[in-house]
Amino acid sequence: MRNLLEKKVLFFGGKGGVGKTTCASATALAASHAGKRVLLVSTDPAHSTSDIFEREIGPEPVKLLPNLWGLEIDGALESQRYVANVKEQIKSLFGHHILKEANKQIDLAASMPGAEEMALFDRIGGLIRGEDTRFDLIIFDTAPTGHTLRLIRMPELMEAWIRALSRSRQAMLGIEQDDKTDPVLISLTDRLEGLREFRARLLSPRISAFMLVLVAERLPIEETARAIEQLNDAGVTVGGLVVNRILPATSPDPFLQSRHAQELVYLDEIDRRFAKHSRVRVPQLASDVHGVKTLEALSEILIPQPQPSRP
Amino acid sequence: MSIRQNIRDFFHGAAYGAYERELRMQAAELNDMFLLLCYMEVVGLPNPATLYLLDVYPYLLEQFHVWHKRMGMDRLPLGNLPCC
Repeated sequence: MRNLLEKKVLFFGGKGGVGKTTCASATALAASHAGKRVLLVSTDPAHSTSDIFEREIGPEPVKLLPNLWGLEIDGALESQRYVANVKEQIKSLFGHHILKEANKQIDLAASMPGAEEMALFDRIGGLIRGEDTRFDLIIFDTAPTGHTLRLIRMPELMEAWIRALSRSRQAMLGIEQDDKTDPVLISLTDRLEGLREFRARLLSPRISAFMLVLVAERLPIEETARAIEQLNDAGVTVGGLVVNRILPATSPDPFLQSRHAQELVYLDEIDRRFAKHSRVRVPQLASDVHGVKTLEALSEILIPQPQPSRP
Repeated sequence: MSIRQNIRDFFHGAAYGAYERELRMQAAELNDMFLLLCYMEVVGLPNPATLYLLDVYPYLLEQFHVWHKRMGMDRLPLGNLPCC
């Protein structure tokens, strides 16, 4: 799993409650120890990252530890920021009357369903394109699988849409005027460039990978299988699987023993079905992960520090 | 105006004059298509690109006005859009 740290963008996804946030945080910690400047981004509205690091994290990167920053992005807030930004941009370009009408239109459009998701997508796109050059590695702790896969499909969808729009605009301009300076076309072309770069980085196996977290139970296994299928479909690299919370085999307790026996069957199934992907097993820890100390232990299991080489 | 420009205009008129009306209509149709794609949710269709179009809306306001005039509507029939 060490080669994961060579990537620029890592996603952590999986069924709700399997420990995505913990694994993402532990990986971020390991990467920061390895000397990478890491940004840990939470897109889950539940925002448990601040609970793990025991401090407030907001919509701007906050320094948590040396080499490690945290960021929580929220759709509603991003959409407000986006709208404010557009209004600021057009302020100097138009007269008072047009601005008044245009601002009304912008507010209306921004209140449509889907605007928040779109704003979230735009912010993630900016991060993936590497707008913030302070960081070597960006780790996304995502919302449960379905939602995230939609988000990953969005650059493709949006690109097709904007391309259609800009073709339509071009066709019209071709007849009416031969003008390369049409501001609408320029704006659309800029968007298209941005989306292309976003998608190229997302699909590059050298830059991005998607990690799937699961526990050894029926439903998470099925969801992981589906997620892998969809990621393959979308062309996103699967970086590996984290099989979380494996029970100890040594317990004398008959209840735990029976759970463990069942778990072995599932672990076997995981090894069989996901043989193509690298897997790492994480044992159930004695206490839940909360605070940097316990996170250290987990990060050591996920990505072992290299032994100092002897001369 | 230079002679060159005159000659260019002459040939342009000779070539396109007869088709100008048709070309204008075609341009208008393409324009309508573009407006529809930009304002889909006004007519109740979801538009995935809404947010990316916000900054072009001010440029389109005028075209919108031209459209509803051309369609023979003095006032805009879509109540929630700010036009006359």
